[in-house]
Amino acid sequence: MVAAIEAKKSSKKRKATLEEEVPPSFPEEVDLDMGTEDEGEELDDASDGEVDEFPEIDARSDTDDGDYAADGASAEGESEEDDEDDEESNDLSDEEEHHIFPKSKTIISDITGQPKRVYPEIEPDYDSDSSTEDTPNRVGNIPMHWYDDLPHVGYNIDGKKVLRPARGDELDNFLKTVEDPESWTSAFDTNTQMDKPLTPEELDIIRRLQENENPDANYDPYEPTIEWFTGKGKEEIMPLSAAPEPKRRWVPSKWEKQKVMKIVRAIRQGRILPNKPKTASAAPQFYPIWNDEPSNAPAPLPAPKPRLPGNAESYNPPEEYLPTEEERKKWEETDPEDRERDFLPQKYSALRLVPAYGQFIKQRFNRQLDLYLAPRVQRVKLQIDPESLIPKLPSPSSLRPFPLYRSLQIGHEAKRVRAVSVSPDGGWVVTGDEGGVVKLWEVMVGKEVRRWTFKSKVGAVEWCPRTDVSLFAVAIEDHIHFIIPPNLPAPILTASQNALAPANLPPAPSTPSPVKWTSVPAAQSSSDVPILTLNLPSSPEPPKQLVWHRKGDYLASVSEGQAGVWIHQVSRRHSQAPFKKVKGAVQLVLFHPSKPHFFVATQRYVRMYNLAEQTLLKTLTPGTRWISSMDVHPSGDHLIVGGYDKKLCWFDLELSDKPYKILRYHARALRSVAFHPTYPLFASSSDDGSIQVFHARVYNDLMTNPLIVPLKILRGHTVRDGLGVFALRWVPRQPWLVSAGADGQVSVWCS
Amino acid sequence: MGRLKQKGKAGAAKAYMTRSTAIKKLQCSLADFRRLCILKGIFPREPRSRKKANKGSSAPTNFYYAKDIAYLAHEPVLRKLRDHKAFAKKLARALGRGEWSSAKSLEENKPVYRLDHIIKERYPTFVDAVRDIDDALCMIFLFASLPVDSKVSSTLTENCARLAAEWQLYVMHAHGLRKVFLSIKGVYYQAEVFDQTITWLVPYQFTQTIPPDVDVRVMLTFLELYQTLLGFVFFKLYTDAGLVYPPPLDTAKDDGAAGVGAFSLQETKDSRSATTAKSKVVEVDGKRVSSKDVRQTIKTITTAGPSDGPDVDMHAIDSSVANEEDEEFVEDTAEEDTDDAPSAPTFTTATLPTLKTLSALPQSTSSKLFASYTFWISRETSRPIFEFIVRAFGGRIGWPATSGSGSPVDEADDTITHVIIDRPVVQRTNESEEERERRRRRKHVQPQWIVDCVNAGKILLEDLYAQGKTLPPHLSPFGEHKDAYDPTVGIAGTEEDEEMEDEEIIEGEDDEDEEEEEAARPGKAALNAAAAAAEDATALRAAELAAEAAGVDFGTFEKETKKAHKKAKSAQAPKDDEAEQDMNKMMMSNKQRKLYERMKYGEKKRATERQELEQKKRAIEKEKKRRSKAS
Repeated sequence: MVAAIEAKKSSKKRKATLEEEVPPSFPEEVDLDMGTEDEGEELDDASDGEVDEFPEIDARSDTDDGDYAADGASAEGESEEDDEDDEESNDLSDEEEHHIFPKSKTIISDITGQPKRVYPEIEPDYDSDSSTEDTPNRVGNIPMHWYDDLPHVGYNIDGKKVLRPARGDELDNFLKTVEDPESWTSAFDTNTQMDKPLTPEELDIIRRLQENENPDANYDPYEPTIEWFTGKGKEEIMPLSAAPEPKRRWVPSKWEKQKVMKIVRAIRQGRILPNKPKTASAAPQFYPIWNDEPSNAPAPLPAPKPRLPGNAESYNPPEEYLPTEEERKKWEETDPEDRERDFLPQKYSALRLVPAYGQFIKQRFNRQLDLYLAPRVQRVKLQIDPESLIPKLPSPSSLRPFPLYRSLQIGHEAKRVRAVSVSPDGGWVVTGDEGGVVKLWEVMVGKEVRRWTFKSKVGAVEWCPRTDVSLFAVAIEDHIHFIIPPNLPAPILTASQNALAPANLPPAPSTPSPVKWTSVPAAQSSSDVPILTLNLPSSPEPPKQLVWHRKGDYLASVSEGQAGVWIHQVSRRHSQAPFKKVKGAVQLVLFHPSKPHFFVATQRYVRMYNLAEQTLLKTLTPGTRWISSMDVHPSGDHLIVGGYDKKLCWFDLELSDKPYKILRYHARALRSVAFHPTYPLFASSSDDGSIQVFHARVYNDLMTNPLIVPLKILRGHTVRDGLGVFALRWVPRQPWLVSAGADGQVSVWCS
Repeated sequence: MGRLKQKGKAGAAKAYMTRSTAIKKLQCSLADFRRLCILKGIFPREPRSRKKANKGSSAPTNFYYAKDIAYLAHEPVLRKLRDHKAFAKKLARALGRGEWSSAKSLEENKPVYRLDHIIKERYPTFVDAVRDIDDALCMIFLFASLPVDSKVSSTLTENCARLAAEWQLYVMHAHGLRKVFLSIKGVYYQAEVFDQTITWLVPYQFTQTIPPDVDVRVMLTFLELYQTLLGFVFFKLYTDAGLVYPPPLDTAKDDGAAGVGAFSLQETKDSRSATTAKSKVVEVDGKRVSSKDVRQTIKTITTAGPSDGPDVDMHAIDSSVANEEDEEFVEDTAEEDTDDAPSAPTFTTATLPTLKTLSALPQSTSSKLFASYTFWISRETSRPIFEFIVRAFGGRIGWPATSGSGSPVDEADDTITHVIIDRPVVQRTNESEEERERRRRRKHVQPQWIVDCVNAGKILLEDLYAQGKTLPPHLSPFGEHKDAYDPTVGIAGTEEDEEMEDEEIIEGEDDEDEEEEEAARPGKAALNAAAAAAEDATALRAAELAAEAAGVDFGTFEKETKKAHKKAKSAQAPKDDEAEQDMNKMMMSNKQRKLYERMKYGEKKRATERQELEQKKRAIEKEKKRRSKAS
């Protein structure tokens, strides 16, 4: 304690000494006028070459000085106010002495044994809370007319109903007032619903109100003043005093003047720049900025450097770089943005002849625009040989045999040949053109054996795949004709005749069919006329497709329109439409080679039905706009679909409903696709007049993907009216191909 | 099931920001935003999907990284720009009220931003900075040559000129120049500094005018950044080389258009340890330089001058050939030792090889290519270009007074070995004996010789470049892309198979002739037929007969058929191969095909370019030959 006081004292002393020390630095007389003498004297002191700091002026002293006149003026009033304030503060301190609350007593608690404070009981008087009074009705201060229609007037503290007291009629009341002398001092209490005598206090209040007096009896209008803040012993103990205003309040400060003078001198001598710009000097200061550790953050990517100039930019380039007249013209005509080079090569014989480059600033500016306005993308530059992108496939020469050249050609009198079919033994070909001519010819040498002429165009021809009989079906108008080719061995001929026109016809089907079967008796039949004819319901176009089931008993036909699909059973001479209604226009149908499945291709989808169970198995989505052709692999697990939008889709039926591979190589629409029944080959023909032959090896294990190798492009058909090769068929047991084109030619392609 | 994802709350929609959103977020004007982008090096990005980044809209906009913009929000420069906006308002008000004094004080205290932190941020290491000074140098050299106008202030051009001179001085001092290319746009220089290849373009000395479609404000903003960057880079380069930065400028020389020579490189007092040098400089920087200081420093310089020889040119005169290594800069003897002999003993006795000693290792001979030569520039050649090149390669150079003051060599000096002259030869009648003698002794070459020597890395024969001769073509030392047309190889190649080609051409001509008179001479036709039907025995026989009938003897016939056969075969073999490849292309995926086609397109374009050039070359050669024959 003592030490602390001493420390305080010493600090005070230090302050005092500090204050004392300050003045000696300004020994001169302080005067308001800035005499030159003073400055002269100061000159020597200040010649140490040091530039003084700009001294700080205390803001408080400034305001003091400025306000001091006003202070003086209001000094009188202020002092008076001060006095009042004094008294008040005194009273306040008194008030603090008497407690506002009743005094507490500290007693030892009986229970805890600890001292505790006990306050005296509060006596409820006029302004005390009356809510604790015991009233029977506890509904509170509510409009009592709510209970007007009820037998009770409220509830007591226990929640029991307080019943409305009985009230007599007017006469009873009157009598009561007459009898009871107190009645005139009682009033109706809505809470209890009965008359209650008024208390004397209440009566007193009423009387006071009548007499226009203050209703409070205790109010004393002539109370003696209580001096809270003034009076004896309550004088304000504060620094406000009536002491005369010190001189320093209005005399300018000497020390301040000295300080200011010092600054003024410094300014005059140029040691201080009075309004030195606060901002840093314009010239940038350089310092070793890279000396400290660089941050770990990765540096921003540097901007790409512009391309270095090539030989063409030289002032004296080799002559071959100089543009010809056309090149110059072309360069000048193209927009500056589209030019490959931003300059035209020029040649000068000497350096002194090189002029200024007019576009210099513009090009520099463009570079800057590139730097801050062009989006930058980081690209990985591929350093690969483009040839390595081409898939490595076995060489076609190792995948022989496949058709290589055209061995023969059959003309169809320049009519489009839409239908072609090869006999199951591979010896004969039937072709049908739009003029209604059906030709039968031999594959090896192309000898035409027989020709049938029908009235209208041939939609389709198809050989029956059975080997014990030999016949083919031709679709013309609304008919399907079954024809037995000539020059057959006797057993086959009779078998065929029996198959188509048996001696005893099978019983007519129970449900009548719109398709009529008419046949010529076997004895009268010849190869000139069809032995059996089916009359289909009429449609504008002939059936566009005929498909035999592999066993040769069923034949499916597809014609235009709704319900265009018919399956005809030759042995029972019965036709049925398998679908009542098909979504979309049916383009093609196919029998599965081994299972009782049936493929139906509409414009966009290929649906696969189980004919035995009559259910839809799956829907394939090739993604082509319009399916033109379809063929199923002999194994039955793969399907190829060609479209008019140049695409060929390969489906692995066990893999997915989406194509395993989509190939686009034809320049025009695909017309026909065909798998070879025995060789791993397939081919597609297109309106661009070419036939593409592929090697397609399918593996038995599910893991290996089918291998597809393009083998050969066969060209030879001419494109007529934008139509190319319509139909393709493979010759069974030989890697040969028969194709029919819009130019009326049917070609055989041999290996 | 996880929380439902709201659209536009994650991914590209959040990572990218359009420019207008960025401006709204930063609450600044577009001009300020541009300025910030330039200074901070922020550029638009290309989102992978523009639609996703733009919250479904496909309107064409520029996108910035949202993070970039977030960093910009805390940029001190942005705050200063806002301060400046307030300042501009205050100033306008003061001016409007005619309060000149307050306007003046406002103007004096106007907010100015500094770019030091941006330099440090954009280039965390020195090498990063050096790598990126190409553009900065181009701009500095351009603005150093621009005329002063209302937009380009004189202080700016002066500062640019100073920076340009400082860079040239450093490159000359470090012998860093590697390649020079005289193009139609200007002179390309390539230097190697701190293992970084730096290329810059200097326009020829003509007055450039800023075209009206160029936004000067953008250029000036870039220039602000570049000046600061170069200041810091040069400071580091100079201090690391033990030189004082900035190099003192002799105003008298500068007024005399001495160019680079007006600056003098000056070594720091103790250049051994870089740290002390730096601390000293910091001290210099920190102190306000009073006139007394300046006088003192000048005094020290003058005293040190004769002994140390800081001035490049003055010293070089008297001892040029004698000491080649230090003709640029004579250092203390101790240092000279390390300079002269970087042999094993010095390394063992000396401490670890510091950066300085490493840099003092003998450079390749090509960097001191002109050390033994003294050049004289005639007045029509550009002095700044050749002074820089020659001195960077260790040569000495003098120039007539018309090209500026401060030439270290007099025209009559006997040490002059080459005269760079760009004038045609004029026979002078009134030549004095002395002049004739001088002319005989000195080699007069055209300026291209210097540059070609530099690019070749050796002294070329002067004869090709002699005064008045037609110059050989000047080729780019930077090379062209791979498998581009090479004019030098082309020359050699054509000479070799020129005869072949000639023959072919003649043959071709013959062909044409023959086709005209085929009826008269069916021999050729027979041969052709033989070639076509070489495989077919009967056809061959028929062709033979036809040839005999035409009077071609059997030997030549056989030869021709063989030739034709071979030709046909060689033509067919690649055809087959190509067809196979073409078919295999069917099996490529779409993506691969597109990539392949793009690559092929590029290849083809380059090939056609090359072919065109070769064709032109052949035509030119032919023309030349014909002309020479005719004459």
